Amino acid sequence: MLQRLLAIVRKELITMLRDPRARGALILPPIIQLFIFSSAATMEVKNIALAIVDLDRGPYAADVEQRLSGSRSFTRLPRYANVAGARVALDREQVVGILVLPSGFSPDLAAGRPASAQLLLDGRRSNAAQITAQYVSDVLADEGAPLSGLSGASGPLSTATPGAGAPGTTSKPNAEVVIDNWFNPNLDYQWFMLPNLVGTLSLGVALMITALSVARERELGTFDQTLVSPATPVEIALGKLLPPLLVASVQATLYLLIVTLLYGVPFRGNLLVFYTAVLTFAEACAGVGLFISSLVRTQQQAFLGAFAVLLPFALLSGFATPIENMPWWLQFLTTINPLAHMLRLMQGLFLKGASVASLAPDLLRLLEIALCTTAAAVLLFRRKAA
Amino acid sequence: MSDTRAGMRAWWQQLAAIMLKEAKQVTRDPSSWIIAVVLPLTFLFLFGYGISLDTTVIRVAVVREDDGRDARALAAAFTDSKWFAVVAAHDRGSGERLLQDQLVKAVVIIPAEFGRRLDAENTTAQVQVLVDGAEPNTANYVHAYVNAIWNGFLGARGVERGSPRPVPVSLEARYWYNANAVSRWFLIPGSMTVIMTLLGTLLTSLVIAREHERGTLEALYATPLTRGQILIGKTLPYFLLAMVSMAVCVLTALLLFQLPLRGSFLTLGLVSAVFLVPALGQGLLISVTMRTQMAAAQLGLMTGYLPAMMLSGFLFDIRSMPPWLQVITLAIPARYMNVSLQTVFLAGDLWAVLVPNMLFMLAVGALFFGLTWRRLHKRVD
Repeated sequence: MLQRLLAIVRKELITMLRDPRARGALILPPIIQLFIFSSAATMEVKNIALAIVDLDRGPYAADVEQRLSGSRSFTRLPRYANVAGARVALDREQVVGILVLPSGFSPDLAAGRPASAQLLLDGRRSNAAQITAQYVSDVLADEGAPLSGLSGASGPLSTATPGAGAPGTTSKPNAEVVIDNWFNPNLDYQWFMLPNLVGTLSLGVALMITALSVARERELGTFDQTLVSPATPVEIALGKLLPPLLVASVQATLYLLIVTLLYGVPFRGNLLVFYTAVLTFAEACAGVGLFISSLVRTQQQAFLGAFAVLLPFALLSGFATPIENMPWWLQFLTTINPLAHMLRLMQGLFLKGASVASLAPDLLRLLEIALCTTAAAVLLFRRKAA
Repeated sequence: MSDTRAGMRAWWQQLAAIMLKEAKQVTRDPSSWIIAVVLPLTFLFLFGYGISLDTTVIRVAVVREDDGRDARALAAAFTDSKWFAVVAAHDRGSGERLLQDQLVKAVVIIPAEFGRRLDAENTTAQVQVLVDGAEPNTANYVHAYVNAIWNGFLGARGVERGSPRPVPVSLEARYWYNANAVSRWFLIPGSMTVIMTLLGTLLTSLVIAREHERGTLEALYATPLTRGQILIGKTLPYFLLAMVSMAVCVLTALLLFQLPLRGSFLTLGLVSAVFLVPALGQGLLISVTMRTQMAAAQLGLMTGYLPAMMLSGFLFDIRSMPPWLQVITLAIPARYMNVSLQTVFLAGDLWAVLVPNMLFMLAVGALFFGLTWRRLHKRVD
């Protein structure tokens, strides 16, 4: 039995790797994706263009502008005479928001009265807009800061209190909040994205390879030939499930090297757990792939079928947006999503250096899912082959 | 004169024949209907509910080592806040363990002697907050919320003691087009772009590769059909299929997700039709380039679907990307589609925005169709 199984595995590997273009397609694209998507996938908002309508023309307004241009986040601060003019730029998405400094802004502040400024934001890009609002309000909070204690005695251009970013320092200099970011001290988005990409990219590969395998043979008419070989359907099915594991572990090794050596993301976990996770996860995905492949008749259908599961897996995994933001019934669905467990494992292994014990629940869950999908795939394959 | 007319007639008849053949191939397959209706609906549903950038309640642990009034007031401020769900932790160690085991997103430590240090003039009272930084977006929210609670605490304490903390500059933020800044409102138009890309690019990427693989391409070449007829005949059924699913998506967005449509249906249809030119063109180009469906599918996934998801400004803001990547996004039709859809849905028929974006889409589409035209030799090699 083992001999026949190995023969099938060998045949599958040859089919997969015979063509140099196909070989390239297995290794190169995921790596390119890793590079591109890790740069693209950032929720940080940089290079902000903010329109300024200065109706005040006083020293405080000038100071606000200067502080904004001093901040790294704002790259362009075009000035407009009125809101109508700025609105055209906002409509064309040339700026994400408009800061209106009303007349009376400087006199109010100079007299120690509370002043207000208006910020009009482009709700079409509500996330970027919200973050921009946060940045602007930080700058404005600093604006009042040096004056609040001195009641306007010193000029508006006096430097902010040291550590003005830590709120509270202005009213009560002897109290502060010290925020410490664990696991990712600089809150670098790439550190978050790269381990996630390792999981998500291997999902795609393992799923696609197996999903198209049977459908392809069926379409080319070689499926019947395989069936009349001495190998049993179960052996054929297992033979199709093993090669993706090999591809996945080769890819995972490459990812591991790139992510740690090139990007400097720490790997703080256990290597053995890493490979166990990769193999179990690849098996779970390959099972899903083979199940789809047994179900459909053409490669096109297989492709769409694979896609129809790939997308929900990716969306409901915490890859792009946190699972906690979802409604409870979707959160429940994420517990049967192998990628959700895989991503938690990757975060734990790369950034958090989580102990084996704390990773065990996710690993076990992944194993259960892998067993279920493999069993389902083999059973369906056997029924279809009979 | 009559010759050219007869020729024209034959041309149209031939075109109708190949379109009929493709249309039959599409409609005969029950999966096509699944693709046109069920798949878009499922995806839109998942996108609509599954993707949200609006944070809900975040779990934090509060460790209070001081039993004084100020420490209890600060701990209560955390418990009472609508942003946090507080998990009690007895000491620093158990708090840190909760963070390590991913059970909480942050640990707030109010140290012993906090109240005494706060009252004394020459000492600094420190509150330590440990935040799970692995996911920076949530971490940033935690920072903002902690700061807000801290300021509120100091302010309330100041009022009690008769020295209210002045707030000199207040900022009134107003969101145009999306008054409540609901992330779903900009994510759903983006999801439609992804779904349209899926139908337009991925499905067509298989069209010619399939004939190649099955060996029926030679048969197609042997017919009197011209390249133009083959291209149009292969594209039009998919165009109609994609338009049907777009209509399904729009209805769902309006009825189920309560998205406003501030532009007109006509503009929406026009924008969708224009987007399909580059989307279908890209699929066809892949299809004539790749020999197998597997390779075509992979390339379609990589150059069509994934960029539409990651590089189109759907989830991640393009202007925050590194410059070299921003240049790459210029060639991605989905990018122009996203802006156009967001504008038509949320802002209205702003032609100043729509026309340049549609022109870009048409330009990219013309490029793809031109390249396909050149690659589609009517010969067998």
